[in-house]
Order: sequence, then C-alpha cells, then structure tokens
Amino acid sequence: MKIAVWGDELASWVAVAQLAAYGNDVRVPQAAAGTTEIRPSQSSVRAEPGLMELIQAGVIKGQLSALATDECEEVVVHWLAMAPDEEDKAIALVQRLAQRADGSLLVINQSNFGIGASDRLQALLNSDAGQAVICLPDTLQQGRALSQFAQPKTLLVGCEDATALQSLQAILRPFTGALQSLQLMTRREAEFTKFAITGMLALRLGYINELANLADLLAVDIDVVRQGMGSDERIGPHYLAPGCGFGGQHFTQYIEGLAGLFSEKRRSTLLDTVLAENQRQMELPFRKLWQHYECDLSGKTVALWGVAFKPGVASIDNAPALRIIDALLAQGARVRLHDPEALPEVREHYGNHASVCYCADKYEAAQAADALLLLTEWPEYWSPDFERLAQSLRAKVVVDGRNVYDPALLRAQGFTYYGIGRL
Amino acid sequence: MNMACGSMQLTIESCWQALGVHADALKQQHLKDLLSQDGRFGELSFRHEGMLLDLSRQRLLPQTLDKLVDLAQASDLQGWIEALFQGEAVNNTEQRPALHTALRLPAGSTLRVAGEDVVPKVHANLERMAGMVELLHNRQWRGYTGEPIDTVVNVGVGGSDLGPMMACRALNDFVPDEAAHLKIHFVSSMDGSQLVDLLEQSNPATTLFIVSSKSFTTIDTLANAATARRWLQDASDVRDEVLVNRHFVAVTASPEKALQWGIPESNQLHFWDWTGGRYSLWSTIGLPIALKIGMSGFHQMLAGAHDLDQHFRSAPLSENLPVLLAMTGIWNINFLDIHAHAILPYDGRLAHLPAYLEQLEMESNGKSVCRDGSASAHRTCPVLWGEVGPNAQHAFYQLLHQGTESVMCDFIVSARRYASEHETLQRQHQLALANCLAQARVLALGDAALGSAQDNAKPWQRYRGNQPSTVILLDELTPRSVGALIALYEHKVFVQSVIWGINPFDQWGVELGKTMATQLLDVLDSGQHPVASFDHATNGLLAAIEARRMSNPDAD
Repeated sequence: MKIAVWGDELASWVAVAQLAAYGNDVRVPQAAAGTTEIRPSQSSVRAEPGLMELIQAGVIKGQLSALATDECEEVVVHWLAMAPDEEDKAIALVQRLAQRADGSLLVINQSNFGIGASDRLQALLNSDAGQAVICLPDTLQQGRALSQFAQPKTLLVGCEDATALQSLQAILRPFTGALQSLQLMTRREAEFTKFAITGMLALRLGYINELANLADLLAVDIDVVRQGMGSDERIGPHYLAPGCGFGGQHFTQYIEGLAGLFSEKRRSTLLDTVLAENQRQMELPFRKLWQHYECDLSGKTVALWGVAFKPGVASIDNAPALRIIDALLAQGARVRLHDPEALPEVREHYGNHASVCYCADKYEAAQAADALLLLTEWPEYWSPDFERLAQSLRAKVVVDGRNVYDPALLRAQGFTYYGIGRL
Repeated sequence: MNMACGSMQLTIESCWQALGVHADALKQQHLKDLLSQDGRFGELSFRHEGMLLDLSRQRLLPQTLDKLVDLAQASDLQGWIEALFQGEAVNNTEQRPALHTALRLPAGSTLRVAGEDVVPKVHANLERMAGMVELLHNRQWRGYTGEPIDTVVNVGVGGSDLGPMMACRALNDFVPDEAAHLKIHFVSSMDGSQLVDLLEQSNPATTLFIVSSKSFTTIDTLANAATARRWLQDASDVRDEVLVNRHFVAVTASPEKALQWGIPESNQLHFWDWTGGRYSLWSTIGLPIALKIGMSGFHQMLAGAHDLDQHFRSAPLSENLPVLLAMTGIWNINFLDIHAHAILPYDGRLAHLPAYLEQLEMESNGKSVCRDGSASAHRTCPVLWGEVGPNAQHAFYQLLHQGTESVMCDFIVSARRYASEHETLQRQHQLALANCLAQARVLALGDAALGSAQDNAKPWQRYRGNQPSTVILLDELTPRSVGALIALYEHKVFVQSVIWGINPFDQWGVELGKTMATQLLDVLDSGQHPVASFDHATNGLLAAIEARRMSNPDAD
C-alpha cells in the first residue's frame, strides 16, 4: 500500500520504519526540496534503539523514499504524527488533499492537537466520497517504541466509518497478532481517552511523590508503604515508584495539554498542580545536597550518575538531571557526569563548559567528588563496587534520586545516604 | 504692553518686579478669554521626544514665559544646571554633589568628581545588580531549603520605597517572561502592619528581603527587617547566619552598617552619599524595578531619563521642558498666589506617582531658609497631593470646581494604550482620555464650557473656572517614557529651588522628630510614664496610655 507519513516526531518515524519493513511503499516529504536523505531531525528520535537501522533497511529495499510534497500528496493513505504545535500545518495539508482528491482518502491522525482536532480535520473532507479521518492515539514510550508499534496489546481507535476501519485493519494486520483488544469509539472519545490515561498516570506519580516527601518528614519508609499500597488490587503496583520527577517529551506534552483544558474549561488546577509539583520534585536531589552542605555549594564537585530522563533512552528531554546540573552550576559547583548512552546529547546541550566534565567511566565521575547523585536508574548503577566508590569520592555522600539502594547497607559502609522518602 | 526686561543686564529684582506688574494686569483676565485667542495651543505647547507639555491652560501669555525665562537667566539657572551636572557641591549644607544624573550616564562616558571618574563605579554596581537579577530570574537564587525564591519583599521607606514602588506599578505591562514568576512587594510602615499581612501569606523558604536604606540606620526599615528575620528563624532550623545569607540583600551607602546587621558584602549593593534618597531609584535602590521589568527595561528607563537630562542641559531655556514646567509653577505660586498643586494621572498604572511627587517636591523644596541662611523672601513649595484622576473626580474634584481655593493641576495621560488588547479595554482608555480632556476644559472655562446651556443654572450649579492646569501627554507609557517623566519632575524641582535660592537636596526638617521619638521610646520602654517631664500635652497622653495599658486584662 502507498502511504505518506507526515511529521518529524518519534511516532512518525516509527511508523515510517515499521510500515516500510512490512512492504508498504512509504513516502515522506523531503526535508528540503531535492534532498533525498531520510533522517529524523531530533537527536532523541535518532537515539531510539533500532530505529535508524530499520529506516536504513527500508531505504535499501526501496520501500521508503523522500519525495516532493506533491508526490506525497497524491496517495490515498496519509499517516499524520506531527508535533503538537503543527495543527495549522495539518489543516493546510488536509485542505490540499481535499482539493485534489475526488475519491476516497484515509487520514490516520496520531498527532496530539488536543480534543476535537480529528473532527476538525474530518470537517475539511468529503465523507460521502469515502474520505475519512481516523484517530489512532500514539501509545509509544521512548526506548521501546519499535516493539510497542509492532506488538500492541490494545489499540484505541477513533473511527466513525466502517470502510475506513477496514482499511486501517488491513494496514495494521502485520502488527496485531498479539492484540488483545481493539477499543472502537468516536474520534473525540479516542482523543479524550488518551488524555485521560496520561493524566491518570501523572496523578499517580504526583501522588506517590507527595507521599514520599511527607514520609521524609514523618520518619516513615515510603518503599514499605508503596508495596502495601500496590498489594491492594484496586490500586496495583504500576506507576507508584517515587523519584525525582517524570520527564520525557510526549508524556509532558499530553499532561500540559490536558492541564490547559482543565484550567481553561473548568478553572481546575488539579493537573497544573501535578505539573508544578513535578518541576519541584525534579530538583529534590539538589535540595537534599544543598541542605547537607548548609546552603553553600560553591567550589564543590558533584558526580551525577544518569542524565537520560529514564533508563534505556539516550534522550535528555525534560530530564530532571538538566535542572539539577543548571542549579549546581548556578551555585558555582562543578559537575562530573556519567551516563551509558546520553552523554553525546548532554555534550550537545552544555558544550565545553569549564565546570562540566563528561566521564566515560562511572567511577571516574565519582573521582574526588563531594557527593554522588544517582538520577537515572540504569541497570549498571544498581550494584556498584561500593568500596571503590567510597575510595573515589572525597566525601561519602550519596543522594539516591531513584531509591535503588538499601539505605542500611550504604550507611553500614560509611556513606551518608539520602533517598526519596527513605528512612 | 511690552514691559519685558532687556535681554542683557537683567537683575533678579527687576525681573521679579516686571513679572509682578505683568501679573497684576493679567490676573484680571479669565482663562476662558485667554483660551479664545488663536494660535495659543501652538505657542504654549512644547515637545521633546514622545512627550508633549501643554501649558495653554495656564493663566499666562507667551510673553509671560519670556519674562519667566528672563528671571531664570538672571538667577543664573544655566550656571546652576552645569554645577549640578558637573558634580559640584550643590547640596551646600551637606557639602556634596547631587549626582542622580550621573546614575544614568551611559557606560563609557566620564564624569570626574573630586578627581575620580564616577561612571565606572556606577556601572560596576549596575553589573552586580544585573548578576542578582539574573540569578533570581533564572530561579537560581535559592532559599534555605534549596527552593528558588519566588517572592521579593522590598523593605524600605521614603526614597527607598516610593520611587521603586511607583515605577514597578507604572511598568507592570513590561514584565518579561523570565520575571513572571516573581512576586514583588513593598513594605514600609514602621508599625509593621504591612509586613504582618504579607508574612501570613508568604512562604519563608522562598522569600527574599531587600533591605533598602541609604544610612542603614533607618529605624522604620530596621524594625521591619528584624521582624522578617525573626519570622525566618521561627520557620527553620537553619543557623541565623545562613538564613541571612540566603534571604537578605542590603542596598545601602553604608556597607559597614549592613555588615554589622549581618548581611555579608556578597549580598550588598551599593550607592553613594551623593545620591539623595528621593533621587535614588536610578541606583541599585532600583533593584525591585530591575526585577520587575528586567535589566533591559531598567536600562531603557535610565536611557529615557538620560535623554531628558541632555535636553535639560542643552535646550534653550525657552524650549526646555523642565524649565518651562518649573517656571509655570513659579508664576502660579509667586505671582498668582496659588499654593495647592494636584497631581492627576489619568492612568491607573501611575497610581503611586502622586505619593512619589509629594516626597520629591515637598521634601526638596518645602523650605523657608535660603542657601545663605537668610529667610526666604518668597513663598516656596506648595502643598502637593493627588490621586488617579478618574477616581479623584469622585473624591476631591468638587473642591477644584466649586471650592474657594485656587489649585493648579497636572494632568498626565498617554495617547496610546491597549493597542493589542480587546476593544472593551481600548474603550476604557478612550473613556479616561475623554474625562481627562473634559476636566481640564471645565476647570479652565467653567460655565463657558457649556455655553448658553448654563445661562439659567442655579447658583450651586455654577462653575467658576479659571483653575490653571498643565497636560503632560505621553505617546505611551514605556520604561523609556517613565524615565523621562520622572527626570522631568526632578529637574523641575531643581529649577524652582534655584529661583527660590534654596537647597533642594537636604531634609533637615525630618531630624528633630526622630530625636524626639528616641526620647519618647525610652520613656515608653522604661515604663516611667507618670513621671515624664515633657510638655503638658505629651505628659497627659503618656499618662493616658499608661492607664489604658494597666487596665488591659491581656497585659502581662
């Protein structure tokens, strides 16, 4: 099938790679007239495991090509996964498609333009002629996006046209072997459901972080409490790990969108509060260190383990570590950074800063530091050689932003340990 | 009727005399008659940059201005202006210059005072201030818990309060994104009532206090600062030294005193004894303004003032806006016998301008002793007060229109506002403009404003008119135009002081009250009320206070 994919987002490039891999003739518009190179512009997208290889394979097999806009617009199936601020562009595109096509058109919209956006696109088309918009909310998580696209367990589909649904199912057939449920609903409901799910997860994370901060003040170990909560089947264990805030581009964009709707339509500050508290939570490890050193970090050296916004990605989008590095530098501290994958992105961000040292080895990062901050729970940080760590550090202070260590164990080895809500 | 002084050998006395004769003739003419003369607006309105000074509703003629300029010349105004700008000790009772104009000199210029170039010092302090502003705007000034400061409280009084507060309010539309999270408050009252309300709703962990005091001995300010410090101590377990370090900034000309109070050098911003308190908003006292509108906005405000400085220094007196504004005041006060002056901004953003000008004018020129120690031969500063014009219409305009007092009024309004806002807001500005023009017209013309419609009015419906007013029309209110507007009034005050022969830069009249308050505080502290030996009134009140305190069941 000929499919044009629009957008320069993780979702668009995953769709490009996977649709091409299964034999579709996938077209993407040229980044600039005459450029045939096919390459996501965002480094965080390029860092998605396996993605660039799969795109390359599609190009080599001839399933994937960059064409002039005009040639992209002539196909029947259009996959839209554009950035949240590109709705105007999407509207202009669909208007052009409507002008040139008399017959059927299928627009699969994965973009987060807010609730009602897919209906607005549909209104530009002639539904009597078989021109339909389907809303297929993107459920990809950075780091696992390819496999999530290839083997979804559930699909939310906002579709109000039986023929269009058949076409979509045909396109998705290679990927639906493990599918347990396909929830069919209106476009508007699909958009709302996506927002609602994301908001719920954010509320859970916000709540557990609030609880952890309170536990800190009441001499209670949040880890014990969390396990107790998770054992209640009405609650379950997911999204209940306290830490120094959530990051990532898509998650945050959805929550900001929903928070904006709540605030505009309902004057509700529920999600605004979650977002604001999350921003504060991101700096929590900094505050623990600040208080440890009596509000003076100038001249201190601080080691950071983990900069990526979560393990398994090379992306530093909205990562807590960035806020912490900024805070430390503003106080006149030096930072020594280690991350198994994200250092190239970090270097792009901070460049050759006199107070920033990029370390290839995690013990090297700890060398002569006045504290170690663990900010991303990469597997290699869970069981380090504590003896070697103790020898490397100048002051044996550990701030565990992800609660991966056993406080008693570290204290027994002479470390001063701070967790998130840990005794 | 050309009785003007000759342009060459004028004496001050002959100019005063000529003006007196001229006034006697002119007093008989009602403003409505003057305003019927063709070309009057063109002859009596003056422009500089985005500012228009309309004197056409003053009870004077173009030749009156000529005579007033003669008086200014005879008083060696130009010599005094140069002395002011060059840093001579124009503040003679305290033997120092008054160099607010140096505070707005662009970087790279030079001004030698006592052999030292002051411009690099001024800019070095602005740089230090910029560093603090940047930290606060980037949310990197951290409180004792490590959270960023989001509330700034300026603790100061007089010049350390009125100027910054006025400018912050005036420029509320110019807050850059990076400053949007900062709340800025002003606390001045000695009794702590403003502070108590504010502390109740603030978070100690994220509140920074700017203690602004030139001498760092101002009791009002130090009392508020002590209460703030206690509030922080009660809220945290952190050592006092660390708390003061994270939560207090001193802006002062007395670094040692601030250090004694506990504020380290690194948290201090300085200015100099040659900056008078009421002329200090251009210095680091302007920190709250810079926090509100950013350093770029602050520099624009300085540039607007500097531009007006150059105009004041170089424009011929007969086209010189501050000179004309000042000499019009001289005419009203000394020749038309008007001793009340209302400041009436038709713009809610200038709500604090009247209070600011009350200090600027009355603390500067509210004097009756000349520079040489002799008693002033002339009436000096009038009683000044004001309010946002449209609100004052519902308060004291009754007196302006039908009372027995002559009052001169300054109307201040901008031509453009709300260009990119909703039509209902644009309409509101239209309404304010209409009211401003209407009031100036009715004050001047009285009944004649409505023509024959007033012919059958009852006595209590009559309007006398003949109240003189000035309209200062700004293109729009911006950091630059606010800077120019304030400089306009500063220089106006200076010009009047030259004509009256007084020193506008000291304020000895506020000292005795302070000394007396110290004595009374001792008595109140010691509880020796009944045996106090002041005057009968004071003794009586002390005894009454003591009696009431004794009978209070809550007293300890």
